[in-house]
Order: sequence, then C-alpha cells, then structure tokens
Amino acid sequence: MSSFSEKMKKFKWKHYINYIVIGVLTVVFAIISAAGGLKSSSTILLEKIAISIVLAVSLSLVVGFLGELSLGHAGFMCIGAYLGGKVASLLVPVFGNGTVTMLIALFVGGGCAALLGFLVGLPALRLKGDYLAIVTLAFGEIVKVIFQQSKLFGGNLGLSTPNRPNRNTFFIVAFALVLFTLLIIQNLMRSKHGRAITAIRDNEIAARATGINVTKYKLVAFMISAFFAGIAGVMFSYTNSSVQAVKFGYNYSIEILVMVVLGGMGSINGAILSATLITILNEKLRTVLTGDLAVLKDLLYALILIVIVIYNNAPALKGFREKYNFRNLVAKIWHPKNDPSIVKDDAASWDKVPTKIKMDEILSVDLKVGNEFTPDKPSKGDK
Amino acid sequence: MKKFVSFALALMMLATAAFAFASCGAKKTNYAANNTEFYIGASGPLTGGAGVYGQAVKNSAQMAVDEINAAGGLNGVKFKFVMMDDVHDASNVATNYTTMYEAGMQVSLGCVTTKPCLEFKTLSHEDNVFFMTPSATADAVVGYDNAYQMCFADEKQGVTAAQFVSENYKGQTIGMLYKSDDEYSTGIRKQFLASLDKSITVVEASFSGDTVASFASQIATLKDCKFIFMPIYYTPASQFMTEAKNDIAKDAVYYGCDGLDGIDTAVQGFDISTIPQEVSFLSHFNSKSTEGASGEFIRKYTEKYGADSLSQFGASAYDCVYAIYGAMKEAGDKISVTSSASDICDALKEVFGSGYTYSGVTGTDIKWTSDGFVSKAALKYIVKESDAK
Amino acid sequence: MEFINTLVNGLNIGVIYAMIALGYTMVYGIAKMLNFAHGDIIMVGGYTIYVFCAMKAASSPAFFFVAIAMAVIVCTLLGVIVEKVAYKPLRGASPLAVLITAIGVSYLLQSLSQIIFKSATKFVSVPELGKVSIGAVSIKVSTIITLVVSIAVMISLSLFVKYSKTGRAMIAVSEDRGAAQLMGINVNSIITITFAIGSALAALAGLFYLLQSPYIYNTFGAMPGIKAFTAAVIGGIGSIPGAMLGSIVLGMIESICDSIAPIAPYKDAIEFSILIIILLVRPTGILGKKRREKV
Repeated sequence: MSSFSEKMKKFKWKHYINYIVIGVLTVVFAIISAAGGLKSSSTILLEKIAISIVLAVSLSLVVGFLGELSLGHAGFMCIGAYLGGKVASLLVPVFGNGTVTMLIALFVGGGCAALLGFLVGLPALRLKGDYLAIVTLAFGEIVKVIFQQSKLFGGNLGLSTPNRPNRNTFFIVAFALVLFTLLIIQNLMRSKHGRAITAIRDNEIAARATGINVTKYKLVAFMISAFFAGIAGVMFSYTNSSVQAVKFGYNYSIEILVMVVLGGMGSINGAILSATLITILNEKLRTVLTGDLAVLKDLLYALILIVIVIYNNAPALKGFREKYNFRNLVAKIWHPKNDPSIVKDDAASWDKVPTKIKMDEILSVDLKVGNEFTPDKPSKGDK
Repeated sequence: MKKFVSFALALMMLATAAFAFASCGAKKTNYAANNTEFYIGASGPLTGGAGVYGQAVKNSAQMAVDEINAAGGLNGVKFKFVMMDDVHDASNVATNYTTMYEAGMQVSLGCVTTKPCLEFKTLSHEDNVFFMTPSATADAVVGYDNAYQMCFADEKQGVTAAQFVSENYKGQTIGMLYKSDDEYSTGIRKQFLASLDKSITVVEASFSGDTVASFASQIATLKDCKFIFMPIYYTPASQFMTEAKNDIAKDAVYYGCDGLDGIDTAVQGFDISTIPQEVSFLSHFNSKSTEGASGEFIRKYTEKYGADSLSQFGASAYDCVYAIYGAMKEAGDKISVTSSASDICDALKEVFGSGYTYSGVTGTDIKWTSDGFVSKAALKYIVKESDAK
Repeated sequence: MEFINTLVNGLNIGVIYAMIALGYTMVYGIAKMLNFAHGDIIMVGGYTIYVFCAMKAASSPAFFFVAIAMAVIVCTLLGVIVEKVAYKPLRGASPLAVLITAIGVSYLLQSLSQIIFKSATKFVSVPELGKVSIGAVSIKVSTIITLVVSIAVMISLSLFVKYSKTGRAMIAVSEDRGAAQLMGINVNSIITITFAIGSALAALAGLFYLLQSPYIYNTFGAMPGIKAFTAAVIGGIGSIPGAMLGSIVLGMIESICDSIAPIAPYKDAIEFSILIIILLVRPTGILGKKRREKV
C-alpha cells in the first residue's frame, strides 16, 4: 500500500496531463454522442481535429525535435490514405468493415509511409536545412503525381475507400489513435533516444562527437514521423468516401507545418493545442463566411497567422510575452504565492528547456562493452 | 513497461467501446422543422484556382432565388440560398454539408466541381437529400437515386464528340489537348478515345497544374493538326489559343465540350475575334444568344454581375434552381416549408420519376432519366468562324 | 531539329523562371529566409501592368513603359512594406517563424487580389512581339528579350554585389550578421535593400511572364514561385549565376517532358526526381558553394 502512495507522490501530473485531458474529453463526447446529443457536424469536426493532432505531433518529431524542416508531410499521409484505403477496400469483403480490417489498414498504411520515410531520411543524412526542405517537398509532390496518374488507384477521380462503420462514433477511434500517437512519440522523446534526437538538433557535430549514432536517429525520427502521418492518412481515407491526391500537395504540408510552428517548436502540447485551434478556425471560417463573404476567409486566416506568429516570436515583445503568457496566468491562479518568474528545476521541465542533455545517458547510447574508450559512467548509486 | 501495458490496454478498451457504439444507429431528426423559408444549399469553390466557376454558380443561383422570391416564392413561402466554400477540395465537403443540413437544408445544388461532388453524393445519400448539380460532370456523381445532373455527364460529352469527329474526320489525324490532373478532362478523354472511329489517329498533348507558363511544347506537338479536340475549361483554352494563333493553321478547328463555354465572355479583356481559327464547342448554353430564355438570362446576369464570370456554369445553376422550384410546385401539398429534407427528396424523386420536364436557359423540354442523367439537346456552337473561310 | 525546337521552347519557360529565381536567390542569399510570398509579389506586379494596360492610353508603346515602371515601383514598395511589417519584427527569431509569416503574407496578397480583382482570369493587352526564325528554329522575340534582360540583370547583380559598397555589405551580412553589425553595417537597411531589389525583380518577372502568356489571376504566382525556387536550389541557392543555370535546366526538362505525350502527365514528378538526384550528387546545387560546418 505504501508503495502505491509513494508511486503517487512520484507521479508527475505534468507528464500525463495531455493523455488525461484528451481521454476525459473523448469519454465526455462519447457519452454525449451515445445520448444522441452530438450532431454529425460536430463529430466530423472532432475527426478532423484528431487527424490534425496526429499529423502535427508526428511532424513536430522531425521539425521540432530533430530540427529538420520537412515540407512533404502530406506526401506520407497520401501513401497512408491510398494504400490503407486500398487494403481496406480489398479486405472489407473478407473481414467485414470492422476492427480487423481497420487494424490491418492502419498497419499497412503506416508501414508503407514509414518505408517512404526511410527513403526521405536518406538524403537527410547528406543535406542540410533548406536543401532538405525542398527535397521533402519534392518527395511529397512526386508521391502526389504518381498516385494521381495511377489507374490502379482510380486516377484523377481518386480511390473510393470504405467508409467508417458509423459516422457518429468514429471520432472515438480517431482519438484512441491520437492517444496511441502521443504514447509512442512522447515516450520516445522522454527516453534517452529522444534526448539524442534533440542533441542532434542542437548541435549535430557535437552530438556525433559524443558518440550519438546520428544516422540511426535521423532515420528513426523520419520513419516514426512518417508512420504516424500514414496512420493519419488511413484515418483520412476512412472519414472520406474517396481519397484524391490533389489534397496532399505542398499546401497541405505547409498547413501542418503552421500547426507545429504556432504550437511552439519542440512542444508536443503546443502542437496539440494549435492543431485543434487551427482546424476549428479553418472549418468555422468556411462555414460562417458563406456566399459573398467567402473571399474574406483567407484574409482573416492570413491576418491571424501573421499576428500570432509575430506575437509569439518577435524578440521585441519578449518582455510582454513573459508577463502575460498562458502558463504564467495559470500559475498565478493556481499558486498565487509562487512568482512565475522563478525558474523551476530543469529536470522536471525538460520539454521547456529542451537543450538540457544529460551527458551520461547520451554517452551510454552507442558504446559497446569492450570498447577501449570508456567514459566515466556514474554508477547507479550516484544517481 | 507496466505503464506502457496499462496504456495500451486502455487504448484497446477505448477502441472496443467505439465499435460497441458503432452498433447503435443514428436518430433521424427533422432539422427543417423550424424553417420559415425553403433552404437551398450548395458547396463549391469560391476562392482558389477554381474560384471563378463557383462564383458563377453562386451569382446565378442567388439571382434565380431572388427572382422567385420577388414573384412570391412557392405558395407565398420564400427561398433561401446558402453556398459554402469548399476550395475545390473534397475533404471540405463533409463539414459544409453537415453544417447546412443541420441548419435546415431541404434541397441542394450539390457541388460545383466533380471531386467534391463525389463526397457530397455519399453524404446526401445517407440522409436522403435531393440534389441537382449544375456542373459536376462525372458519371459517378449521379450514382444514387437522390442525385440529378443539369450538365451533360462525361460519358455523353465524350461519346457525342467522338461521333461528331468520327463522321467528319474519318481516316485523318486529329489533335487533342487535355489537362492530365483534371477529372473532367481525363474523364471525357477516356470516353472519347473509347468510342472514336478506329481509322482516326489522335496526337495527344497534355498539361497540368493551375498555372502554365508556356504552351510552346504542346503547340509544337499539335501544330500540324487540322482539328484539335480540347476537353478543357475555357481559361487554359484561351491561353493556348492566344499563344498558338500564328503556329496552328488558320483553317484549323478547335472543338471542345461544355468546359469551353464562356471562352468568349468570361475571360475579361480577351477578344475571341483575334483568334484566326474556328472555335466551337458542344454545349447546352449559347453565351452569345440574344433571344429566348438564354438571351434574357445573359442580359440579367450581365446587368447584375458583369460579363466576366458569365459561363454555362451560371446558366446551369440558374436552371437547377428553377427546375427544383418547378418540381416542388408540381409536388403540391406533399411539400411544406417544414418538411424534412428526406420527405422533400421522396416527393421530388416521384415528380422527376413521372416524366417531369423543364424548359429554361440551357434547353427546352429537359428530361431526366431514372438514373439522374439529363436528357436535352447538345448543340454545337460555333463561337468564332475561321478566318480562312 | 525537332529536339532543338524543344530545347528552344524550354528556354521560353526557363528564362521566366530565371527572373523569378534571381529574386529568390538574392533574398535567400542575404536575408537567409525562404520568401514564400515572392510568387505573390509577381502577381501584384502583373496586376499593376494589367491596370495600366486596361487604360485607354495604353495603346501607345510609351505608355507601356510607364506601366512597367509603375509595376517596378509598386512591387518595390510592397516588398519593403512587407519586410518592415511582417519580417523585421522577427529578426533574431527562429527562421521557421519568418517562413510562416511569409506564408501568411502570401495568403493575404492572394486574398486581397481576389477581393479587388475578383476571381475571373484577366487578359492583359501587352504588345505582341511575334517570332523570329533562324533556319528551322523559331524563337519568340519575348524569349530573346527576357534572356537578354535576365543575363544583364545577372551580370549587374553579380558586379553590384562584388564591387559596390552596399553589395559588399550584403555579402558581409550574409556571411555573419553579428560580425557585420560590429563592423558598422546597418543590417536592417541592408536587408531592406535586398528585399527592394528582390521585389523589383519580381515585377520584371511578372512583366516577362505576361509577355509569354498574357493572362492573370490571383493564384498566378504560386506555382511559378515554387518552380523557380526549385530552379534556384538546383543551381545552388544563393548563387546568382546558379539561379540562371538552374532555371534554364528546369525549363528544358519541362519542355522535353511536355513534348513526349506518355510521360507528360508525370512532368512534375520527373522534375522533382531530377532535383533530388542533383542534390544527392551535389548537396548544395550545381554552382552552390560548400560551406564547412563549425561547432
């Protein structure tokens, strides 16, 4: 019993708050939906939010944590949508439109996207910065054109895919997948592997010098990111009656990138929040500004984008931001005695200070037993 | 590891719960119960690369609705027209459709462009909402019994064009220019090639993307052809013709489908008389007409919105609204302003199924087959005679 | 002969990309940012020319030069304003933040142009220049003019950057912003000048685009912008002759793809594959300089 209370003391709410919030909200919406209180438009919005979150969180692995600009995320999603959709439509006659079909489709869609992620990761080993960005954009466009022209996948009209079994409850599946994505990516980033990835971002040469296998980590980051984009693609194919390649051009990749950047680089919770808000904003602008007002939609979106980015990033507004940011407001309400300007201990808030690397853990990554170079590795008792 | 397992278990439980929910069916609500006006909804591109086509539909449908309202509506009940922007992207349609449906949409014009309309088709079939699309041409659009077209389907356009070419150009070589990433263009091309006389050789050139910097390569491919089939929209077509006017023989013939309709009116500043070749197309609407219903429509449209978006998209949308209005009138007291979309759909299906005909801007005595395809005269309009003749 | 004609046709497109890519590469080389709004500044230049050409007096050729001058002035001003409002506040922030505001500016300009000019395509009555034939090869006069002007621009830009005081300051800013500031260079004004030059080049690109194909609409700049960026990367982004070379290579690839019917639909895929191959062989483009990385 005492071990449980000890565990509870060690339990860091901060690390689980996003699972809890998403889980609770999903259950709440599921109950409302079961009572018949949720309209189709709301469930569709929820599905879109879920897809956006998966995309944004997976892209933030490459852009936010690995520090490589990727403009081809929609291409991975395209692979997932087409291949997952195709497999699902082949399997529906065999297994029916249920869990088995969907799991296989998710696996195939995600897996194929991960394979492409591996291919895109290869040039990432050789190219830097914007050169890599244009290569990812190029990969995305190539994938788009190939699927668009392929007769097997329906050509220009797109691939007809099996629809979700139930429009009213599919969002629960979608949010279960969001939790799965978070589970994998968040745990990865909190492990020593994650710290190795951020070390590569902060200084590749230094990371290599400390013995981090840069090749391996870059490829792994690209593959995992692509895998989840593929999963999002399969979800997309389930929520739409057909998959059309035009959707997955660089414009969509940029939209996902906007979600990641607005959420704050290297912040998973930020990516979740901004993916949610941007998706809602997009959908609402479209359905509120109808007819003659539709031309104002892009104008408003652009203005909001520019203002938020400048507010969030402008060095001149730093003091203002620190005074009035969301976290401090919450802190003021919850713990009025604590001054928010006091810096908390770094270990607990590593995602706030992502550059902090625990050297001992990184050093232990690639060293094998019997290697003549043995760094001073602290023994367990020292910790 | 323990934590991992417990999380995985929780996720599995959530997923199972989801499929358990999946068994309970959706309740049917009559969202139109509080309507005071008949609600006509539509979705189409109002911004972006295809924006001009959606704008034409929006203007014309609004004009038709305004006219009907001014004339007293349907038994004193007015109409309301709402159009949401889908930016020519099918994945935007679901939100647009459900939002309108839940706001009380009773009948619809579907979508303006084909790909989004395929999504619209599925959604509206689930709720049994009647729609008649002004311009989504793919055959699959009318796959369900609640779907009707005002424009010709790709199949009809491709086959009719092939018949025309087969009769007139036996044993010769003709050219074709198509847009490889556009479903309208590739749809017609497929049907055209399938039913073309085998003695005819086709030289093909294609382009893709919204922006084409230069058609020089395509012109080089097609320059020896005396007849060029162009199943494309008027915007790239006018660009091609301008660039090609001195390279392609003066007595050559450009021949397109209804997408070419508007080439003489809808591109502001473009003067078709500067093109030396013959420009003709197969369509249901003559944008040069000065008399009859189409002349009247053109006059009113130009007065209200100017000529720069006048095309068959608009004419077709205008007819859709009136055809639906006429059918609703015919349905009589089966329809009231608070009827659910599904009830109205059933009533309209019955009217359309029992030989309903409509005469308007895009044709007279227009009928619909039970599949939802339109049956009306497709005419070959020569917009511009060849200078060589 | 057929093949030479195909290559000449490729030149038509290539020289337009070259004008755009020169602007891209200037801004990228010095300000170190991907200006996604560059394509839309071309669109603004195009619309400016359209407005002037639509006036009655436009029939005289002299007035057409006024239109060109106005387009250059409008675009330069716009470039400077955009830089001051949207990019300057973010100097010192993450380059990605600037990328996102650039995208925002791009959406903003497209949307504004739709509100002002509606979405219908406009035909611009630019003078028709015709073609000249050399043997069996015929080439458009507009292509020759564009080629000559872009080579002239390329040479003068290279000379400007190499020998003028401002130009050398630009190099200094691009090499090391902090050190340049310590040397007394006003980094902000140098970057503003860079944007002014880049935007003026965008106006010229808009002009030459219209001479090739006299149609304008609000999404007019998006795809050429991306293609020119690709071209600049192929040539080695930041390198002025590289932008020129990359553009012409890209134009010819496009033209070859277009002339072979079965592969024409895969044009974009082929272009981008070639881009990837070139970058794998030469990671900084054909003429790009390799920089040693330091810790």
